[in-house]
Parts: sequence; structure tokens; C-alpha cells
Amino acid sequence: MILTVFFVLFLGLPVIRLLCRSFSGEDGGVTLSVYQSVFQQKKFGQALGNSFLIAALAAGLATIVAFILAYTCYYTNLPKRFKNIIRLAAMLPMFLPTITYGFAIIYSFGHQGLITKTLGHTLPFELYGIFGLLVGYSVYTIPVAFLLVSNTMQYIDKKVMIVSKVMGDKAHATFWIAIVRPLLGTLCGAFIQAFFLSFTDFGIPASVGGRFEVVASVLYDQMLGGIPNFGKGAAVAMIMLLPSIVSICLLQYLERFNIRYKKISDAELSQNVVRDVVWSILSVIALVLMLCIFVVIFVAPFVTDWPNKISFSMEHFVSVFTDSDLLSIYGNTLAMAVLSAAAGTLAAYGAALVTARSRMPKWCKGVVEGIAMVTNTIPGMVLGVAYMFVFSGTSLQNTMGLLIICNVIHYFSSPYLMMKNSLSKLNESWETTAGLMGDSWIKTIIRIVTPNVKESLWSVFGYYFTNSCVTVSAIIFLVGSRTMVLTTKIKQLQYLNKFNEVFVLSLLIFFTNLIAKALFAGLAKYKPMRVTQKLFQKKETLC
Amino acid sequence: MLKLEHISKSFDGVNVLNDLSLEVEDGEIVSILGPSGCGKTTLLNLILGITKADQGQIIYQGKDITEIPMEKREFNIVFQDYALFPNLNVYQNIVYGLRNKPNISKTEEVDAMIDLLELRPHLKKGIDQLSGGQKQRVALARTMVMKPKILLLDEPLSALDGVIKESIKSKIKTISRQFHLTTIIVTHDPEEALTLSDRVLIIEKGKISQYDTPLGIVNAPENEFVEHFILNQLIIKRDNILTLFGNVPLEAGKAV
Repeated sequence: MILTVFFVLFLGLPVIRLLCRSFSGEDGGVTLSVYQSVFQQKKFGQALGNSFLIAALAAGLATIVAFILAYTCYYTNLPKRFKNIIRLAAMLPMFLPTITYGFAIIYSFGHQGLITKTLGHTLPFELYGIFGLLVGYSVYTIPVAFLLVSNTMQYIDKKVMIVSKVMGDKAHATFWIAIVRPLLGTLCGAFIQAFFLSFTDFGIPASVGGRFEVVASVLYDQMLGGIPNFGKGAAVAMIMLLPSIVSICLLQYLERFNIRYKKISDAELSQNVVRDVVWSILSVIALVLMLCIFVVIFVAPFVTDWPNKISFSMEHFVSVFTDSDLLSIYGNTLAMAVLSAAAGTLAAYGAALVTARSRMPKWCKGVVEGIAMVTNTIPGMVLGVAYMFVFSGTSLQNTMGLLIICNVIHYFSSPYLMMKNSLSKLNESWETTAGLMGDSWIKTIIRIVTPNVKESLWSVFGYYFTNSCVTVSAIIFLVGSRTMVLTTKIKQLQYLNKFNEVFVLSLLIFFTNLIAKALFAGLAKYKPMRVTQKLFQKKETLC
Repeated sequence: MLKLEHISKSFDGVNVLNDLSLEVEDGEIVSILGPSGCGKTTLLNLILGITKADQGQIIYQGKDITEIPMEKREFNIVFQDYALFPNLNVYQNIVYGLRNKPNISKTEEVDAMIDLLELRPHLKKGIDQLSGGQKQRVALARTMVMKPKILLLDEPLSALDGVIKESIKSKIKTISRQFHLTTIIVTHDPEEALTLSDRVLIIEKGKISQYDTPLGIVNAPENEFVEHFILNQLIIKRDNILTLFGNVPLEAGKAV
């Protein structure tokens, strides 16, 4: 109940407000004039087309790479350690804010870039614009696509491949029937998810877009640019929302085509050295290409003045760490991430308990499901703009609280699904059994259910933490001078051309995430002494 | 004595139980036997109190308990998949109910139950370290600590194999006799039902097909369903085993 009110207040209201704003004319009446003027701008039509084109290209690329990596992990006899490295490497970009990607691309492929210099010649085409965006978006969405594809791949019945071979199928026929066909739904899903992420991302075009306009950069300009126009901003936000809604609806629809397997399938794969070598080479190439753009982040900040004066130096680190302003920003970021993670985990867990483990009426569960779906369709930027309209002038404006609420809602959908999934896998009879032994529902949840989903709770916590650390799209509209966080500071430093600081801060975010991930993984496995265990020991000494 | 009177229950318009009436004596072991989908689990849930009947009364020791909620009936159940709590060890599982009702069993009684079910060597183990039969015994102990007035068992043997099955069977019998405990068991296996219980309730399509002692069912099947689906299975099994041991199979239904 409280959950519903919370979502109505911080999700329903802002979006409705945004909708009204986009349809209201100067006199306050309902009108389409704002949309008309938006579409009359030639620039906008072009930006929209650009967005669609680049997002689709990047999504296609990301899906292909994700497939190659996942295939190497599940269908070759390569050593386990090698596969684990692939899995880890494919996830690394997640630990960096997208806004950093752009700068890394510039510092890698620009005229004086690290890769340009190493290879000895410059790119034959313009870096800013299509190329930069394409690379950035692909790298950004590969981890997500990889997660989706490899998740389905481990459940695909590997024995189908053996059956197909025994039946005399040619290699390509086996490949189709045993691997591609069962994956089709997921591949489409990965494509759409990657498209959605690219379409709505703001960090990459902000850094490497150049004069090449996409919807996200138009929206930013309308709201926070030189000549802000909130009415047009609202209209652009609504236009951005539309493809997002369509892509999420498509995802829901595709869900039906996914073949459901209950068990992780393992079968011995036939020995085939050629196959193993070819796929591992493909994977390594993909990963090297993907990660090489980040190398510069680990090099540039250690150099006196890249690219003019190349000698080892710690001065950028020293200057960042002695800058109390930047340190307090780091503090803000940590606080925001931890609090968002705590609040978000609580919200996702509560909502999942309602749908997966309670006897609430069907409509109640439907409402929760609906909320989760709506949060999934709303891009961060749209949420940010909507909040700007609703909470400007209220006491929530520029507060940490608002940033946290925004994060909780922005990233709600995946944690909720993760929680619901693991809760519904638990034994259905626990509540009844514990109830018969005198537990109330809430007691059972605390004593039995919660300890058994501890690992999922920590991974949800980690998901919220990492995303809160790297997000920029929603909160860029909401931060104030006292609630500045690392990612928004990076945006600011960009204006000042202080790229070394940008990279130092990015490294800070990267290592914070890496340490946090290790910490949460450790906590998930940690088993505290429980009261009854102590009781048991006491009893034993009595015996 | 537990009495069910004219119980009916349907789900989404489908009639699962149809005007069922029966009695179970105190301390008796009764098996509910029938093919899947015949309504036997629904009947168990009705007695336990998870499900509410559409029509009819449930009467226990002369008192109408139809409207009394599950927690207050003081019956208890062991589920087919045991529903043990994996975050607690064996001992913690067994004494779980004592946290809420500390006085229901004395320490000596708990100890005696642990010994009766031969769980002493496993007390500190985690749930995933146990075999199927051990899990079943832990679940039984956990339930028995609550001193239920009626013990309900949902397919208690179906997940176990061979020898373990027989040993759990004898444990169930021992417990029921020792505590004079009314025990109601749901099963789809005629052999289990007829070798384990005092009386067997055969259900087909939501109606009682026959309710009798095992001997009564074997000697005087009341209808075709009992004869064909219940007895026939047993006869085939018996003949197979006899052949295996070199004996001449008896002819169906007739002694040589």
C-alpha cells in the first residue's frame, strides 16, 4: 500500500505533469502547438532519425558480439579460467559511467589519441558523430546483451545438438536448430534492450556526439542549454518516451516466444580444436577492441600532460585528492549509491514479496506488476525532466533524497524481477509449514524467507549501487551545487577541458565499483551465527 | 473422531470433490488413494484448513471446525517436498515451532523423538547434506514436536527409493501406534496405501469409490474401478515378483 502511494507520487504524478506540460500552450490551454514547433525544427527530425539509426546499428553490433562471447563460454572446450576471464571482461564497461566512454574514445582515436599514435595513423573518418556514438553505444550495451544471451544459453538443452548430429544434420543445420533457433527470442530481446539503452543514453552523445544531434542531446539543450525552453523539452521527452514504450512492449511480447527450460543443461561437447580456436580468437578480438578504448583512462591520468608531455606523474591524482571539493563530491556519490541501494533493495524486495509470496488479491499483484513495467519503459532522462517540473520550488529540490528516490524508481524493474524470480523458486509450502508451527506471515518472512534469498538481496543491492554510481541521465537535471556527484561533476569538468580530472574521477568510480562488487559478493556468502545456533550449542554443553 | 459431512469443492467451476462423507477413528492410519487429479490433495488441504469447502461440515471430536482457521485446528502436515528450512540446520528445523510455543514439548520429548527417528548423528548438518529419507525423517520430527492432533502426510514415500521407503513406512506406523495419533496419508500408489494403513479411502473423480480395510478391498472390490485400476496393478506386481523368484504365478484373483 505504502509502496503504491510512493510510486503514484514519484512516478505517476511527474509523468502526468510532463504530459500536461507538453500539451499546454502559452495561454495554458490544451494545444499541439509545442509539438508542431518541435517538429518544424529541421534539426529535430534529423536528430530523431540519427537516434534511430545509430541506436539500431549499435544494438545489432552489441548483439552479435554478445552472441560470440556467450557462444565461446558455453559451446567450446576452452579452459574454465579463460571463460571466466571472458565473462568478467564483458562486464567491465558496466563499472564506468557512459559519459567517460566518450572521452575515452576521443583520447584513443583522436588525432593525438593513444591508439592513433600506437598504430601510427589517424582514422579515415570523422570521430565525432556516427563513429564515436556507434562505438560508445555498442560498448555500453554489450554487457547487458551478453548477460541476456548467456543466461538463456546456459539453459538451452545441449543434448539437442547431439541428437541433431546423430540424425545426420550438416553443421549449419545443427547450428540453426540447436543454438540459433532456441535463442531467437533472446537475441531479439537483447537487440531491443540494447536499442532502448542506446536511444535513451545521454552520457555518450554528451561527450562524443559533436555536432551530430541525437534526441538525448536535443532534450538536454532544451532543458539546460543556452536558451532553455521547458515546453519544448517536455514535448521532446514525450517523443523520447514513445519508442521506449514500444520497445518494452515488444520485449514483453517476445517473452512468450522464449523457450522455458527449468534446468541448466550440461552435456559433454565433442572435441573440436578448430572450433575452439576460431571462437576464442573471435572473442579475444571482440574483447580487445572493446576494452582498448578504456586503456587510455588508465594511462592518461598518470602522464604529466597527455599527449604533449609524456612522462610519468602522479600530479593529477594528487590534485584531485587534495581538492576538498572533489572529495566531498566523492562522498556524495558514495552516500547516494549506498542509500539508493538500501532503499531500492527494500522497495524491490517488498514489491516482490507481494507478488511472489503473499495472498494479496490478484488486482493488488497486478498493480505491482504494472508499476514495475512502467518504470522499465521510462528513460532516465524523461524521469529527470519530469522531476524537474514537479519538484522545482519544493523543499525536495536539489536534495539528496530526491536523487535517491529518482534512482530507486529509474532502476526498479530489473531488481524487482530478480527478486521475484528467486522468491518464486523457493518452496511454496514454507509459509504454511511455519504457520502451523505458530509463525505469523511476517515472522516467516524474516526468519525463513529472507535468509534464503540473501544472495539475491545482495546482488540487487550491488545492482542499485553500481548503477547509482555511474548514472547521469536522470540526475543531471536534479543535482544542486551541494548534491553534486561524480558523474555530473564530470559533465561540468568537460566544459573546463579538464580531462585528466575526468579520468581520475572515472578511475575512482571504476575501482569503487570493483571493490563494492567484491565486498557484496563476500557478504552474500557470509553466514552469521544465528540465535538458535547459539541455543543449540548451549544445549549441547548441558547434555 | 474426525467426521466429514457432505463436503463439496470446486475450482473455477470444475467440481473437484462431490458430496463426500466419511469418518476417521482416533489413532487410525487412513490412506487417501487415487489417480492424479482425483481430488485427494484437495481433500487433505480441506482437512488441514488451507482450503475452504464450498459445502459441508468438518467435525472433530464432536466440534464443528469448518470455520476454524488452519493455525487453530492443531493439525499438522508433512509436505511431499518436506518444506525444510535450508537456512537452519537439522536441529534448528526440528525445534522451530518451540520458538513460538516453548511449552508444547519438553526437552526430553524432543530428544526421544530425535532418537526414535534416528536423527542424532545428523543434528548439526545442513539440509542440503541430507538424503531424501533423512529429510523426510527431519520433517516428521519437526511436525511431531508440535504434538499435532492429526498428522497429515502428503505423498510421504513418493520421492524415496526401495529400502528407504520400507523403513520410513515402519517409522510412520511406529509413531502412529506409539502416540495413538490419527494419521491421514495421501498417495497414488496402491501398494503403499494397502500395506501402510488401517483403512484405505479410494477416490475417483471427486467421489468415494470404496472406503474399507486393505483386506476388505482385496477380497471384495466394490466396483470396476477398484478392481481394474487398484487391484490389477497389485496382481501384476505380485506375479512379476513371484516369477522372479521361480514360483508359478497365481492366476489373477484365484488361489491355486
